[in-house]
Amino acid sequence: MSDIVGGPSWRELWANLAIFKDAIWVGGLAGALLGAIGVHVVLRRMVFASSAIAQAAALGVALSFWIPAIVDPSGHAAGHIAGPAAHVAPSLLFEPVLWAIAASLLATLVFVANPVHLHLTRESLLGFVFLVSGAGAVIVGSRITQEAHDLAAILFGSAVVVQPVDLFLVATATVILLGGHAVLWRALLFAGYDPMGARVQGMPVRALNVFLFLSVGLSVALCTRALGALPVFAFSVLPAMTALALTARIGLVFLLATLVGALSGVGGYVVSFKGDLPVGATQTTTAAALLTAALVWRFARARYERRGRAP
Amino acid sequence: MRLPPGERLVRTDSLVVGHEGAAILPPLSMTIAAGELWAVIGPNGSGKSTFVRTALGLVPAVSGTLERRAELRLAYVPQQSALDAIFPISVLDFVLMGLQGPGNVTLLARRANDVRARAALDEAGVPALERRQLRDLSGGQRQRVLIARALATDADLVFLDEPTTALDAAAEHEVLELTEQLRAKRGAAVVMVTHLVEDGLERADHALLLDRDHGVALPVAAAAVRALPEFERVYGRFVGRGEARP
Repeated sequence: MSDIVGGPSWRELWANLAIFKDAIWVGGLAGALLGAIGVHVVLRRMVFASSAIAQAAALGVALSFWIPAIVDPSGHAAGHIAGPAAHVAPSLLFEPVLWAIAASLLATLVFVANPVHLHLTRESLLGFVFLVSGAGAVIVGSRITQEAHDLAAILFGSAVVVQPVDLFLVATATVILLGGHAVLWRALLFAGYDPMGARVQGMPVRALNVFLFLSVGLSVALCTRALGALPVFAFSVLPAMTALALTARIGLVFLLATLVGALSGVGGYVVSFKGDLPVGATQTTTAAALLTAALVWRFARARYERRGRAP
Repeated sequence: MRLPPGERLVRTDSLVVGHEGAAILPPLSMTIAAGELWAVIGPNGSGKSTFVRTALGLVPAVSGTLERRAELRLAYVPQQSALDAIFPISVLDFVLMGLQGPGNVTLLARRANDVRARAALDEAGVPALERRQLRDLSGGQRQRVLIARALATDADLVFLDEPTTALDAAAEHEVLELTEQLRAKRGAAVVMVTHLVEDGLERADHALLLDRDHGVALPVAAAAVRALPEFERVYGRFVGRGEARP
């Protein structure tokens, strides 16, 4: 039985849960991980960074498809004949997730480098990374027509199903990186809010920043491979904004961002299934809807409080 | 542990500060001892920030030596404008940052730390503000909280960067009184970068006059600085009760 939106019914979703459960898990885990890390991303005003890194990860995946076709055209063609699993990853060397991680970490180096010596700002270098990666992904995509669908899935996030290895990698990263952030959140906050004061007090500010940037690069790379660049960028920005709109208690901000991210990932997937909509775009829209609701609530509360104070 | 007054904390010998190996001030030799209050004065762009960053060990010296007492505890009170108001930081959370350091990076043991942070807020005269957001406070309240963090660090040497900028006269007076307390009660040495030349010199034991354009880096007794021709060149012959303007 179809629902009012024309998509499958709840019963059909439940019946096919075994097929979709990995994608739902990845959506929830990626939302939680990126939501928590995204608080630092938003507060440190490096929102554009996660977009640039996600775009770089997408270029890395595109290159992992294209380079085997250049290096070994006959083997690549044989891989196509052998089936999708064979042509997606002809060898471990061309495993897309490794290329996504490598490209992300290269993009992450922009944070560690100090562009002041080049008389440039970090934002301008991020813009460079974003534009080169975006243009590169489109150009490489035009050369690999047979995997164009896979590439589109990575750029825009239409991952209806994910591979077990992606779930394993995202789950492992979530446990390790979220654990690290749960322990270090106050230290990372101090290093971001008052870096000079933190350095004077002997805080390992550089090591903390490297941990943050590496965790952004790794989580964005792994999640981009599994979900696509669009929802990954959304999860690393919108849940943190939602949490910041709902509360000013910093500990609660991290908790809420994690929950809102997970809800966006899982809820977005379910809505996309019910509405027969593209997964990544629906997850992004779900996160945006939660942010809009939070902003409306905050606006209404501010008005109510102003009226309460009026004589 | 409170250090005895006069205990040497920092000594510089022909210290040259600058950017990327290029000197911006002449060599500077001075000693900062426990319980002293130094006023670092000079016009805008005179090299005050570069001196402070070098003294704090954040940037390398161009040449010369900078010796610090072993296990010297340092604290830095930033300018209010250096703190991004987008961060939702409560007053208590901000003061708790003063308790973080090499032995306590994560600040996971909250209860004992909370007690110390509240004691610092109490000493700074703002115990009722602990749940307020730092960004929502008045300039004077916020400066008191910034100094409360320095109190929480239990530092031997505290650097304050323009603690009275953008404060009204009453708040300025309160903040300067609180700065005095840092050394009177705690025995800490205080190095205060200030544009309030007159008030700064009234309270300080020593002054460090910096003037990059004329190659001046002079550490002198605060009472004697006004007689220097270098001071007169920057601030004029007469400094009245109001703020001296170069």
